[in-house]
Amino acid sequence: MQEYRTTRDGVRGERPLQAWFDVRKRNLGSWAFAINRLTGMGLIVYLVLHLIVLSTLLQGEQGWDKFLEIARSPFFLAFDIVLIFGILFHGLNGIRVALIGMGIGAKNHRSLFWVLMFIGAVLLVVSAWKVFTI
Amino acid sequence: MAERDVVFKVLRYKQGETVPHYDTFTVKTDENTTALVALQAIRRDDDPSLTLRHSCHHGSCGTCGMRINGEEQLSCVVNVQELGTPTVVVEPLQNAPLVSDLVVDMAPFFDRYTQPEMPYVRQSEFMPEADVPDGIGHYTRYENCLECGLCVSACPVMGSDASYLGPAAMAAAWRVVAEPRGSDPEFALNWADNEHGCWRCHVAYECTEVCPSDVNPAEAIMSLRGELTKRKFRRVFGLGK
Amino acid sequence: MQSVLSNQTTRKRAAQSGAAGALWLVQAISGLLLVLLLLLHMVAHHFVVEGGLRNFQEVLAYVSNPAIFFLEIVFLIVVTAHAMLGARAILLDLGLSKSASRAANWGITLLGLAALVYGIWLAVAIQNL
Repeated sequence: MQEYRTTRDGVRGERPLQAWFDVRKRNLGSWAFAINRLTGMGLIVYLVLHLIVLSTLLQGEQGWDKFLEIARSPFFLAFDIVLIFGILFHGLNGIRVALIGMGIGAKNHRSLFWVLMFIGAVLLVVSAWKVFTI
Repeated sequence: MAERDVVFKVLRYKQGETVPHYDTFTVKTDENTTALVALQAIRRDDDPSLTLRHSCHHGSCGTCGMRINGEEQLSCVVNVQELGTPTVVVEPLQNAPLVSDLVVDMAPFFDRYTQPEMPYVRQSEFMPEADVPDGIGHYTRYENCLECGLCVSACPVMGSDASYLGPAAMAAAWRVVAEPRGSDPEFALNWADNEHGCWRCHVAYECTEVCPSDVNPAEAIMSLRGELTKRKFRRVFGLGK
Repeated sequence: MQSVLSNQTTRKRAAQSGAAGALWLVQAISGLLLVLLLLLHMVAHHFVVEGGLRNFQEVLAYVSNPAIFFLEIVFLIVVTAHAMLGARAILLDLGLSKSASRAANWGITLLGLAALVYGIWLAVAIQNL
């Protein structure tokens, strides 16, 4: 009977956050994973907020106008840029992870990453300009 | 000879202690001193209770793996002066139970790695057309993996999920699929097709980065995923096996 | 010396593999779909709108378009599935025990369903304003 003994010891303890996010001395893939995980967590929080905010529509015109006023403040617009960064990184890096996992481009995962990030950077600049000029 | 004193900050732990601590030692090095030789000098000259594992001294046995300045390395092939840091931090591998100082228990690693039907010898080296000298039946070549455990130590998922199969074992499983030679590739695929198997990987590629033997476990895990996905598609769309 | 992790024979593990691969595939495909859907969502809601946001009347007129309504519901379903599978991956990465991962699966499913029910209710309620 095959049994797996645990890989843990009492003296060094469990440190999952360190395992995911401590990228010191780590390589490109770990950075991508850590940022992907952070942006993913952030986007879940955003999704919940987004659904809650939309319920202001049910309060009629006043409720929605109040939200629009907040949404057009410079602070909120800056927050939009953070959001767009999160979406672009998570989405474009996700394309890489999905493709590699299906056996496409595994040998070129680094160049794939940088090509996608270049596209992301361009889109980020364009959307930032849009957000502040629209 | 460019002799230089280098400070070694070494993680220390003995059974029964609650937390590890670090001891510092100063070691005289020249341009050929490896980390392993420096640690042996510490044991010889400063502290005979320092425990570490090693064997071949030339990067082929895979016994002396440890973390040097936070990076998984075979200490026997790390040149101390080329590290370029005034202090060299030496720690045992992660994601394996700490036994003593720089020695970890490799049993959980082998539990996963030494599955039945997993290969140790490459079939491809038995080619009949291979040109071998008189008196020798054939060349025998072992699998690339040294079973050093560096990949398991560097893996971010291994660091949070203690029941993850891990890169080394899944690389071995993929070898069965890539070159079955009488073993059952179905078995290897099923073994890796698991919530704690190839689907748990997050493509950080750390295993491949630290591997001293070009095994490329990350790509092997992705190949397992690709093969399993292909089979799933075939099953769904009824294209036979 | 250390505790044994439970009797996980390889064949038992293989038998439990079940949905792991399928769920990964759903995560990957929903992610790829989201790239398109989110692009559409952002452009339609913000980038083609004067001032970047619609006023109350414009929002009502916009979502009363059945094609838009359908697209938004599809978007809601795909994004919720992707987010819940992502949250599940984070939990499973913690190496949960069998009972804890079962609880996590249930919690995630319920949370996802709640988000869907709320979202669809909200979309219908807005249409009926």
